[in-house]
Amino acid sequence: MFSISVNDEGIVVLTGRFDASQTDRAREVFAGLRNSAVVDFRDLDYISSAGLGVLLATQQRLKKDGNAIKLVHMNRMVRDVFKIARFDLIFEIE
Amino acid sequence: MMRQEFARDIASLDAVFGFMRRFADEERLDARASYVLNLAVEEFFTNIVKYGKGREGGVLLEAVRSGGTVTIRLEEETSVPFDVTRQTVTQFDTPFAERKPGGLGIHIAREMLDGLAYDYVDGTSRITLTKHLES
Repeated sequence: MFSISVNDEGIVVLTGRFDASQTDRAREVFAGLRNSAVVDFRDLDYISSAGLGVLLATQQRLKKDGNAIKLVHMNRMVRDVFKIARFDLIFEIE
Repeated sequence: MMRQEFARDIASLDAVFGFMRRFADEERLDARASYVLNLAVEEFFTNIVKYGKGREGGVLLEAVRSGGTVTIRLEEETSVPFDVTRQTVTQFDTPFAERKPGGLGIHIAREMLDGLAYDYVDGTSRITLTKHLES
C-alpha cells in the first residue's frame, strides 16, 4: 500500500511502501512541483531504488531553477538506504 | 522453506511482498532483516523483469532460514545468463545534474546483504541472497 498527496501546506506526504510498482503515480505528483517543497517521510515504511530515482529526477529538475526538495522525518532504515546511495549528499534531510 | 512462482511482471511485486511478509512472520524476522531482504528481492526481481522482456516463464522465489542465516533464491529459465555479481556502479563520481539511478538498486542491496552469488546451469539462472540475522 502506497499513497502520495500534497497537503494544505504544500507538503508532499508519502505513506506506506514506495516500490517499483508505484513510480508512475509518484512521478505525476512530483511533476506538479514548481518551487521548493518539503517531503514528509513520517509514514513511509519502505523505499527502494525505484523511489530514489523519482526523487533524484525531481531534485535535478527543481535545482535547474534554484529550487529543491527537503526530506523530513525519515525512519532509520529509510535513512540508511539514502546514506548507502549517497543521496544524503544530494538532499537536505532533516 | 517457502517457494512460490511469480509472473514476470512489475505488477507481481504486491504478491512478492506478500510472500516475503509471510516468510518474515513465520521466521519471526526483525524489522531490519525484513527490510533488507524485501529491498534485495525487489531490486533483483525488477532487474529480471526489466532485462528479461519477451522471455517466457515466471520467476521462482525460494526462502529458507537455517539457524541465524536467511537465504533467498530467485530462479528463472533463460538462454541469456547475466551475472549480477559483476555489475558495478560508479555513478558516485558523476556530477549531480547528470547522475542517473541505473545500477543503484543492486549497489544498495549488495551493501545491505551479507552474501550475493550467481550461477547458471542448464538454462537456469539463479541469484542467491544471504543475510545473517542479528542475535
